[in-house]
Amino acid sequence: MKVARRIAGRWRVVAKLAVLIGAVVVAASQLGGVPARAADPIKVGWVGPLSPPGGYAEGTLMKQAAQLAADEINAKGGVLGRQIQVVFADTRGKPEEGTAAAERLISQEKVVAITGEFHSSVFLAEMEVAHKAGIPIIAVDVWALSITAKGYPEVFRVAPNQALIATKYGDWIAAAGFKNVAFVFEKTDGGQSARDVLLPVLDKHGVKYEAVGADPNSTEFTAQIERFKTKQPPFDFFMTAYSEAGAYPMVSQSHQLGFAPSARTGMGNSGGPAVDPTFWKNVGEAGKYLVTEIVGLPKNAWNDKTKAFVAAYTKKFDHTPSPQAIENYDAMLVLIDAIGRAKSTDGKALIAALEKTDIVLGRGRYTFSTSKDPDWAYHQFMNAPVALIQYDKVGQTAEDAPIIWPRNIADAKYTYLKPGK
Amino acid sequence: MGSAPSASARGLPRRVPGERSDQNQAMSWDYLFVQAANGAVIGVIYAMIAVGVTLIFSILKIVNFAHGDLYMLGGYCAYYIIEYLGVPPLGAMVMSMAALFVGAIVLERLMLTPLYSDATERKDEYGLIVTFGLAYFLRNSAVIAFGPFPLKPPSFIPGVQRFGNLVLTNDRLVAAGVGLLLIAALLYFMKWTIWGQALDAVSQSRDSAAIVGINARRFNSFAFGIGAALAAAAGALVAPIFSLAPDMGVLPNIHAYVIVILGGMGSVPGSIIAGVLLGESESLFTAFFPDPTRAFAYTNAFGVLVLMVVLIFRPQGLFGRRHLRME
Repeated sequence: MKVARRIAGRWRVVAKLAVLIGAVVVAASQLGGVPARAADPIKVGWVGPLSPPGGYAEGTLMKQAAQLAADEINAKGGVLGRQIQVVFADTRGKPEEGTAAAERLISQEKVVAITGEFHSSVFLAEMEVAHKAGIPIIAVDVWALSITAKGYPEVFRVAPNQALIATKYGDWIAAAGFKNVAFVFEKTDGGQSARDVLLPVLDKHGVKYEAVGADPNSTEFTAQIERFKTKQPPFDFFMTAYSEAGAYPMVSQSHQLGFAPSARTGMGNSGGPAVDPTFWKNVGEAGKYLVTEIVGLPKNAWNDKTKAFVAAYTKKFDHTPSPQAIENYDAMLVLIDAIGRAKSTDGKALIAALEKTDIVLGRGRYTFSTSKDPDWAYHQFMNAPVALIQYDKVGQTAEDAPIIWPRNIADAKYTYLKPGK
Repeated sequence: MGSAPSASARGLPRRVPGERSDQNQAMSWDYLFVQAANGAVIGVIYAMIAVGVTLIFSILKIVNFAHGDLYMLGGYCAYYIIEYLGVPPLGAMVMSMAALFVGAIVLERLMLTPLYSDATERKDEYGLIVTFGLAYFLRNSAVIAFGPFPLKPPSFIPGVQRFGNLVLTNDRLVAAGVGLLLIAALLYFMKWTIWGQALDAVSQSRDSAAIVGINARRFNSFAFGIGAALAAAAGALVAPIFSLAPDMGVLPNIHAYVIVILGGMGSVPGSIIAGVLLGESESLFTAFFPDPTRAFAYTNAFGVLVLMVVLIFRPQGLFGRRHLRME
């Protein structure tokens, strides 16, 4: 018995040692020191919301598009003779999770660059990590000016920013003849940045307004809309900068209460939900005459790459891509193009290559400004397409909606289609 | 930021020189009526969500942090019943209640039975952690199971009703009406049926209830099931108003806790009154707060402020008992 017990005890010691050695080996491989081999894939990080409380609907579309881009490149043999592996990190729309995700991607996953994100406040946290590590990070659908205004060499943006979007709204509101605007913005970095840009533009045009901040999780707007309805002289336009799921109840409630879109008061939504696949299922008739933006090329300006992307995406995911999707698809291709030209995955080499980007993709010809005048222009895709559309049919896709602004690319004869006309 | 708040923006129509002041006053009263009526309707909807939390708390003595997520599940359940079985919305609501009733009993059996064991020392903490974990699990699973995009079932009755300047959608009227009926049915059940009286007995003293032959464990499951069924009804009723999303339960959950504490923990009538009070205070605050640019942003904070003021004077809430804990 004693011998048997002693043997069993030794086996236990041996088993513990084996586990310990195994753990040390795994830890050592995780902590670095194992150089990347030629056959190893190039890891690219992706950050964005994939679960609540973030904008997981848009995050999912972006993730799908990023993976599609990687799959297509890999099918053609990859880049530098290596495959691309996208490592996805869910940031849940929370800055602290964004920081943790960026740290994990850089220190543990050893990604060479990061793309993605839908929330400005989260991206602002992520870019601090990338900046410290010297890893390039490409902002995909975040619009706050402060992102590129900080002047970090690692930070690039393929999305338009609020200066390019909200300015267009302000100019259009004046051109369409609106004089008195009710404006609801979500109290996030993105929403407040929209307010900061839009209001001075309205001031410049002499348009009066009342700007109201809203909790981004709100879904009940009845009391606020009733308050708007008492305004004298009446508001003639209801502008909303609201990217969360509450945008749908806001459109529905505003319409049901007879406020907007109506013959007296037009309505716009900036932020993305109005071009998502389930927009019409949620708002129905209320969405007709709504004005929103598309941050991709308008359909009449689609190039071969846009058409190929839309076809491939629709085939794979069974719904048409949103502008956020093509933004992320292009961001991946911009990055892979830079890796190819840099012939390296070193951070500094990639940043230098990204600065020299000149490539035509699904959203037009990509270049990044190196000017810091104005401060937000640094590493910004200055020609990022932005067009305002106005739905004139229930169930219309964003691609088929008439473009009303800017006038040089508009395909509608009117600047604004008044409901009932 | 924005133009200066005008009289009209504060809900007080702008005085035109020579205009009769009694006309202004009539319009102000009209505006007050519109906002108060909207507040009452949304308050009933709040109460309906909160009453399930109250019921579960009064029997199981735990704050169910997953209640908002059961509400979300109930909404989705009704949606898919309508979509795939072609059942009318009200029938789908009833079926959703039944499904959640059964599902919740299974969950309670699986996860909450340690609450009734003497071996569990920190029952409050256990209940809190388990329901919190369940909430996260359900919310994140919903993204995978139902997809990330908001969905909306068909209306109970399409269209709106107009009463002067008051515009109410039929869906809100149905939600408030059915909500009141369900709450009334719950009150009747608690007061006038033998099972309801047994539940009340368990809520007052588990040991005393056991002495007279009431199986407290069985009634724990029953109470959790009824609470979940009420949450499912609320989710199904508000789905055509606010749309369905995996995180739709987060804000109503916060409202429900405010209502439960305000009304008095464990008091069903207290929840109803507190729900309407919260709906009214939020609506009227948004309507009359002097700075129109900030009124809406501060609405949720105002609800909590009302709660704090009440708790200063009545720490047990409006209708609460002084002491409620798991024995």
